[in-house]
Amino acid sequence: MSYLPKTPSRHRSRSETKTPLTPSLATGLNSLSTALPGQSSPTKFKADVSINPFLMSQPPARRATSRPVSPIKRTTSGAIQVSESLQRQANSGVVRKGGVESRLDVITRDYVPPKPEKRSKSQPTRDPRDRFITTRDTTDDVAATLDMMSLNPRSASPGHTARLAAAAGVPLNRRVLAYHEPPPASSSDPLLAQAREHVRPLYARPGALPTSTSTTTSKGRKIATLPERVLDAPGMVDDFYLNLVAWSSLNVLAVALAESTYLWRADTGEVLQMGEAPEGSYIASVDFSNDGQFLGVGVGTGAVELWDVETHTKLRTMAGHSSQVACLSWHQHTLTSGCGDGSIWHHDVRVARHKVGELMGHQGEVCGLKWRSDGELLASGGNDNVVNVWDGRVGDVASRTRSSARWTKRNHTAAVKAIAWCPWQPSLLASGGGTSDATVHIWNTTTGARLHSLVTPSQVTSIQWSPHRKEFMTTHGYPTNALMIHAYPSMERIVEIRDAHDSRVLWSALGPNGDVVCTGAGDENLKFWRLWEVPKAKKGKEVKESSRMGTGSTSSGILSIR
Amino acid sequence: MPLTKQAPTRQAITLKGSTNLVTEFFKFAANTILFQRGVYPADDFHMVKKYGQTVLVTQDLALENYLDKILKQVNTWLLTGSVTQLVLAIISKDSRTTLERWVFDVNLIEPPADSSEPAPAKPEAEIQAEIRNILKQIVSTVTFLPVIDQPTVFNILAYTSESADIPADEWVDTDPLAIEASKSQQVKLRSFSTDVHRIEAMVAYRYEG
Repeated sequence: MSYLPKTPSRHRSRSETKTPLTPSLATGLNSLSTALPGQSSPTKFKADVSINPFLMSQPPARRATSRPVSPIKRTTSGAIQVSESLQRQANSGVVRKGGVESRLDVITRDYVPPKPEKRSKSQPTRDPRDRFITTRDTTDDVAATLDMMSLNPRSASPGHTARLAAAAGVPLNRRVLAYHEPPPASSSDPLLAQAREHVRPLYARPGALPTSTSTTTSKGRKIATLPERVLDAPGMVDDFYLNLVAWSSLNVLAVALAESTYLWRADTGEVLQMGEAPEGSYIASVDFSNDGQFLGVGVGTGAVELWDVETHTKLRTMAGHSSQVACLSWHQHTLTSGCGDGSIWHHDVRVARHKVGELMGHQGEVCGLKWRSDGELLASGGNDNVVNVWDGRVGDVASRTRSSARWTKRNHTAAVKAIAWCPWQPSLLASGGGTSDATVHIWNTTTGARLHSLVTPSQVTSIQWSPHRKEFMTTHGYPTNALMIHAYPSMERIVEIRDAHDSRVLWSALGPNGDVVCTGAGDENLKFWRLWEVPKAKKGKEVKESSRMGTGSTSSGILSIR
Repeated sequence: MPLTKQAPTRQAITLKGSTNLVTEFFKFAANTILFQRGVYPADDFHMVKKYGQTVLVTQDLALENYLDKILKQVNTWLLTGSVTQLVLAIISKDSRTTLERWVFDVNLIEPPADSSEPAPAKPEAEIQAEIRNILKQIVSTVTFLPVIDQPTVFNILAYTSESADIPADEWVDTDPLAIEASKSQQVKLRSFSTDVHRIEAMVAYRYEG
């Protein structure tokens, strides 16, 4: 009969035989059995009733006597003594397997209240297995259980307390103590953690990086991992903060070598020196206007010069900045300059009072600056690890007005030099951080949300989006000195060209056709990489268009040189 | 009795000496666990020659002081014999679940009451060899313990007797940080004993295989 093993008396006797309890407990059980007139009789009696024991009427006195284990009813027993084995079980904080479950069963079943007469009559066919929960008397039994749970040795039965203690892992007659304060955090020394973070890229040897080969290409697409052309650029300054390479829509490459600016015509290979920086200074940045007719030059003294590309003459000098102008960006007639003191100025190159706007939003040097092609937004990155996006409308702003950024992002943990707007999805902006950050973040500039982040092995020095593919290119510094191409929404690495230069790759410029990228580095070389193909279907149209506009194709230009 | 028989260089170990030995063992055991289980970054530790081998000990001042404060109290408790167990629990920082429990049972060795002659003192070299074996075993446990890939913190619990003197405001009653029986595995480690104390080590870890 399935009910029988659950009768209280059977279990009590079983546990007694299984685990030898202390004498006090044994006496407690003895007194318990004396209190029950004929302890074994109910068991026997019920065993005889083969169908349902609760159909049989029980004497009313039985109810009180059959629950002597209830802590409330027990008034005797002072401080308890627990057997050695139980104490040991209780002491080990980890609950023993195997024994625990059976002990738990003992506890719960021990407190099965006898079924009240009236209820057993009203529900005679109830499944006996859930009997003790469903037929429990309300207040008394709940109170008894709660009291038992409290592990109070005076009120609870000692054996149960010990077993409960063992089950819960709480030792009996013991205190579990912990020191009042939590252990110090692991990064308790912020300087040490910072130093560790700083040297992290230095430990990253090329061999230790995920791929062992210098080049990894994805399936199906072949990308030349050698430069198509290498130009010598003697005297090129190895300075992260400068922007010394620009490629115009007229297929002219401007390179600043120390204090002079050189133009290299990609279609003819002709090189000419355009101008020099003032005595004792150097050229910090170059940028072509959108039509390629004018070159803006930022000088170490803080002046911004305007040069005519056709005639190689300086048209004007726009002074005012207090320190070097390390980045420039054009939008139509507005030349925007980022200065070493963190200010960004809009210069209207047409008017005498050239300064038409000032943007204050960086605490450190401005090292990345890019207009969106439609001139609606301007993105800037600073040495203060901040990316700002500004409203591009400057026309009617008075010269003294200071505007604040449309939004500011502080996710980067190093200087933000690499800034690029996506040509085929105007709201996308990519920004890349320096050595201790080495992360590219892609932003939605409409909402200000960060869409993607990509951790790269080393500092990100520049980013170029491909106009023809959903891809972008990043250039990197020590230790990989690499060029990498990533797919856009998946952020998958398509190709990595390790050791593209002998030192960190600092600058990159995309050719007017969008297929060749020129990179410059501290190793005094300019290298041209054919990273993307101009799509064939589009090509005819584009060539036609470009010839109509009078611009030669980059590819044909390079191939025809010498 | 033959006092001359005893080694003149080293007296039998006293309660105080044994307590210091045990406390010192706890210090190195705790440091070894914190290093091996990656609770603190590896750079925080430096090598120290101890027990005839190199042991990694934290050089993070805050952690050093914290352990010192705890061990000082443990030392006092050991002297009065009121601590029965020390537990170093490694807890997940985020979910606050206990991942590992390093349990050190402290048992007092009762000298046989009737024998007038004290038991021969255990040579210190032997004790050190036993300690060395425990530390080596702690190091080797990384081979079977589950890899912890989340930030963790640790907590040291002391199981004391009801009557132990407890510095107010410094030690508080706490949860035993037990691991559920169905999800825990236990491995008993070696033990070591001095003339007065016997330390048994055990590690229980969360394993839901």
